[in-house]
Amino acid sequence: MGEIMSSTDIAIKFETLNKHYGSYHALVDINLEVARGEKIVVCGPSGSGKSTLIRCVNGLEPHQSGKLTVDGILLDDSKTAVRDIRDHVGMCFQHFNLFPHLSVLDNCTLSPICTHKIPKAEAEATAMEFLTKVRMDQHAHKYPSQLSGGQQQRVAIARSLCMKPDIMLFDEPTSALDPESISEVLDVMSDLAKGGMTMMCVTHEMGFARKVADRIVFMDAGEIVEIADPESFFTNPQHQRSRKFLDQVINH
Amino acid sequence: MLELWFDYRELWWSGLVTTASLTVLAIFFGFLLALPIGFARSKSKGILGWLALGYTNLFRGMPLLVLLFLVYYGVGQFNRELRAIGLWWFFRDAWYCGLLALVLNTAAYQAEIIRGSLDTISTSIQETNQALNLTRWTAFRRVLLPIAFAKALPAIGNEFILLLKATSLLAIITVFDLMGQARYIFSETFDLKVYYVAAVQYLLLVLAIEWGLRRLEARIKWMA
Repeated sequence: MGEIMSSTDIAIKFETLNKHYGSYHALVDINLEVARGEKIVVCGPSGSGKSTLIRCVNGLEPHQSGKLTVDGILLDDSKTAVRDIRDHVGMCFQHFNLFPHLSVLDNCTLSPICTHKIPKAEAEATAMEFLTKVRMDQHAHKYPSQLSGGQQQRVAIARSLCMKPDIMLFDEPTSALDPESISEVLDVMSDLAKGGMTMMCVTHEMGFARKVADRIVFMDAGEIVEIADPESFFTNPQHQRSRKFLDQVINH
Repeated sequence: MLELWFDYRELWWSGLVTTASLTVLAIFFGFLLALPIGFARSKSKGILGWLALGYTNLFRGMPLLVLLFLVYYGVGQFNRELRAIGLWWFFRDAWYCGLLALVLNTAAYQAEIIRGSLDTISTSIQETNQALNLTRWTAFRRVLLPIAFAKALPAIGNEFILLLKATSLLAIITVFDLMGQARYIFSETFDLKVYYVAAVQYLLLVLAIEWGLRRLEARIKWMA
């Protein structure tokens, strides 16, 4: 089916991509196509390269060989390519990374105003719209240090959405949160998924993966071991390494 | 002791104004100079980084008094050349020379403080700047600089207070700051209590700086 799709239906395309950290081979011959609107959950043991994989998409990690095309733009060494791609790709981090010296609203409007030259009033209106969507509009004038972890992560999601991305990357967005906060963040992410956003999530939340993902990408030792729809991945994993991982995740 | 102050109040007042204005100007120009040097120390691995390291080594490695003598007496040797390029008005004046030496000295210390706090800003903040596609200039001005300044404030405040007291060295090159006036009044009265009067006024200036720093710190509660 991948062959039939025209290039505009493909949001992200990895072609035999390799990444090394010095002598360490972090990503090995990655081949993956993510369709527009598709939700991918990347899982695997720690150190398997999941975060590195999605951090390649917006150029936070350079790759050494292979091709990576995002929204039809080939990510090469040119400065313009990586800037163009980042205009289309939003990202949320494990530790939220809100700017501590800016209010929630200013966090959301900084890049639209400074990078995209959007008028302040318009940027603030957009920000309030997305803050309402993540149910943080009541806190728009607080500073990040006054918010709980879950609230901060929801603000971080709104901040990314203010850039009007086509693709959202989530790098373990709930790993630093307590159980109640986890569900409020996952709810926001599920809403986003229902809205048709293309998403790549690295997460250990298998319930979320099962409910929201179109496909699960299982990685180990820098390789993609298995790609499957959630139902078959969780009920009938094909590889021994996937089975071992699922046993560990589900038994505890 | 009070009459020592009262009888010479105009001299004391002019000394106080001289000390305070030298301190404020040296802090201001020193900070402007320290910003690019500290930034180069933190971010540049090339020639700029080496030049910045050379600058801090040179001026931190030299006692302020030696620097004062080099600027005021040393550069003064070249008065013919300085006249030719129209800079003599600056280098013949002890006040300007003193200010220049203070700026060169404090910039080296402030640059190291700025480098230190830029270095402690986590890489995750810088990745966020990239992910949000901020230009380097916006990232520096709107994100790195405010955070670095807030982190640096206690150390920078220390440097301001040290600098205030270092201005007293300028009395030796004939600047009539607080210390200069104290020496003059002592030569008139031969009363060593003059130096207590000077010390109290330095203390008041230090308290004023501390008050200003506390006001600034109250405005950066978000650092918590």
